[in-house]
Amino acid sequence: MMKQMVMQRIAIGFATLAVVSVIVFVMTSWLPGDVASIILGQAATPETLAALRAQLGTDQPLIYQYIGWLGNMATGDLGISKAGGATISSLIESRIGNTMMMAGLVALISIPISIALGLWAAMHPGTWLDRMVTFGTLSTISVPEFLIATILVLILAVNLQWLPSTTYLTGEETLGQLLKAIAMPLFTLVIVVSAQMIRMTRAGILNVMNSPYIEMAILKGVPRKRIILRHAFFNAIGPIVNVIALNLAYLVSGVVIVETIFSYPGLAKLMIDAVQTRDLPLVQACAMIFCGVYVVLIILADVASILSNPRLRQPK
Amino acid sequence: MKDKILQNELKYENLDHVDKGIVDKVVRGGYTRRDALKLMVATGITMAAAENILYSGSVAYAATPKKGGSVRMANPIHGPDDQTDPMMFTSGIDYARGRAVLNGLVQHANDLSPQPELATSFEPNSDATEWTFKLRKGVEWHDGTKFTADDVVWSMNRHLSEDSTSVIKSVLVTVKEWKKVGSHEVKAVMHSPNSDLPTLLGMFQNKVIKDGTKGDWIGTGPFTMESFQPGVKSVHKRNENYWREGANLDACEITAITDPVARVNALIAGDIQIMSNVDPKSFRQVESASDRVTLLSTPAALQLGICILKNTKPGESDDFVKGMQYIQDRKRVVKRILKGKGSLGNDTPISASHGADWCSELPQREFDPDKAKFHFKKSGYSGADLFVAPVTAGIEDTCLLAQANCAKIGFKLNLKKVPNDGYWGAVWMKEPLNVVTWNQRPTANSQLALQFGPGGNWNDTFWNNDRMGELLSLSLAETDPAKRHAHFCEMQTLVHEGSGMVIPAFSNINDGIANNVMNMPTVPLGQCGAMEWPEFIWLA
Repeated sequence: MMKQMVMQRIAIGFATLAVVSVIVFVMTSWLPGDVASIILGQAATPETLAALRAQLGTDQPLIYQYIGWLGNMATGDLGISKAGGATISSLIESRIGNTMMMAGLVALISIPISIALGLWAAMHPGTWLDRMVTFGTLSTISVPEFLIATILVLILAVNLQWLPSTTYLTGEETLGQLLKAIAMPLFTLVIVVSAQMIRMTRAGILNVMNSPYIEMAILKGVPRKRIILRHAFFNAIGPIVNVIALNLAYLVSGVVIVETIFSYPGLAKLMIDAVQTRDLPLVQACAMIFCGVYVVLIILADVASILSNPRLRQPK
Repeated sequence: MKDKILQNELKYENLDHVDKGIVDKVVRGGYTRRDALKLMVATGITMAAAENILYSGSVAYAATPKKGGSVRMANPIHGPDDQTDPMMFTSGIDYARGRAVLNGLVQHANDLSPQPELATSFEPNSDATEWTFKLRKGVEWHDGTKFTADDVVWSMNRHLSEDSTSVIKSVLVTVKEWKKVGSHEVKAVMHSPNSDLPTLLGMFQNKVIKDGTKGDWIGTGPFTMESFQPGVKSVHKRNENYWREGANLDACEITAITDPVARVNALIAGDIQIMSNVDPKSFRQVESASDRVTLLSTPAALQLGICILKNTKPGESDDFVKGMQYIQDRKRVVKRILKGKGSLGNDTPISASHGADWCSELPQREFDPDKAKFHFKKSGYSGADLFVAPVTAGIEDTCLLAQANCAKIGFKLNLKKVPNDGYWGAVWMKEPLNVVTWNQRPTANSQLALQFGPGGNWNDTFWNNDRMGELLSLSLAETDPAKRHAHFCEMQTLVHEGSGMVIPAFSNINDGIANNVMNMPTVPLGQCGAMEWPEFIWLA
């Protein structure tokens, strides 16, 4: 049953990748200008444009370019960046580690904190503690992340000079140095993603708390702590893991603003740069990674919901 | 009396650190000489003593470069399109890397005169149809092979071929081909005489690469390329086998921080030592951290331009162009938008930074709403659309100011804001009114030819004037300074009167450096002394 569901999801995942690749390819080519005119920029002349297009193969019709890309992809060759001439695998290789490390560390810190704080707030609804958590999370959700990042830089880097203002990785630092170097973006992202997860945990549990079986448990005199941890939490896991999955996907693909402010070489910024230079193969490679991550995380979230809630295993 | 004698013996070395700070700032361009003299005289020393201190300060700096240390430099832009081939260099980060790893035949001094680099001498024949370059002997590539004439012929001819994608292909149209004369001698055979050729060879893209390669970061330059990650950073070590005295720094790293606020914060926090391109909005923040960093402002002909296409409506009406020119409140642009770090534009691309070729006698066009109103009315237009992208700092605010002033005289100037992304291909030279910026070119002739040469590739107002074409060739061949100046003045007058170009102001080149960075070059052709810094700076 479960196996069939997972296989089905994986098949849908591949179909999604194919559709996304076509959409991204077509949309990027609709943007004004092409890779040759962007590289040459203000210095472009009709002759140099034509020469560069011929050299890069971008004078071919779009459909041929797409088929060529698909063919390469099938053999595992990501191709060469049209904009700079580096191999796409080398461009991605150096950044995918950075992105995964940051996403992993943020998840490692923020998921336990969020669930703990969410549970805590749900156990004591209406108290000053709950209000503080609610107020804090609402505030950080409403403040854009670039503002949080800039304020942190002004305080911690420029005024106090405790932490570096940009994350500068040499690849040879010790764990301590590494943590210090990435502390600022890490801190910013933990604040940004925790807020949502805390709210979702609290709301999910309070929602379950209104159901009749909880009322029954209360009437039987079960302590509130036990009700939440034993009875409510597992029923609320479905929505919580989905929010966690979406936040993780965001950490991989959507943190471009934080990457820009801290000059952290990650994948999201690479994709934006690729779009800006109309570097189709590179855009495609990034899009495939992001889409793949979404698909995998959503499958995992579904599996987790089903495992935690036996009712979902039976098709209605 | 005794006091006076003592004061005259005051030298830089004897000052306390506060006074040294003032001198340091002048020597490195932070204060003008006049401000510093005023400051020092205000503290009670005589003018002569102040002059003496300033002089000894410059000498102290020039004389004692220290070896060692490493510098991290941040540009405003990088990405997967960071180039490895000098022929394709288009952004500051490429220029900086090119300057660190490679050499040209010729390089620019601060006053833009061409200085020998890999060429030890360069001579034209009598009618400037051939230029002969003697090459430096004993120079080695970073991989240990010898530098010869073959490398130069290969590097230079790459710009000229039929299918060349060189960014400066059309700048070098006067060159027919490069030929090897001996193992260390080459000549350039010209289509037409060009007395500016050595100066053009100092351009960023004219770096010499190894025979048969496309650059690939093997050079003869003061630094080697240790690692190169496009869109992340490059790491460089001093080339111990350099043919000149060699760099003072042990190492340098060249990267970019694309967010302008983050870049300033990184400079002040000490994470970077050189910051390319400080936005006028951040001047105050940089200046208020003067205990750590210095704002370097180099006067340059970095133009804030509005192009009005002459070959279509509404620009084909001379009155419309005049209206747009008179409505520019130039003094306010320089004072408020550029925060004083700029100079007035006179609707020609030539400024005082071009030296003797600038036509200072051409009357300055003033802000005159009445004349603007008169010309707009005569043109028959009551409104127009201007396409604006943030192509250079201050251009958007300049257009907003023009819009407000137009509104006061009943002219409706619509600003169509567009992003930088794709601007040069989709908007510039296409929409009837658009904005432009150009870095200063090494010579007034190349600057004028670039934008106003009849039929040129970048004639961005589509103004074709036959007399302009004649004067461009005449001035290249003219050796008499007075006649040459007359030619240049006539050209600037033609552009000022007839073209579709509105240039309200020129911006200085504004960069930030940490206070311990010494001997920063000030070549006005681009950010950070046209990136001449890697070989020459040192850390105090």
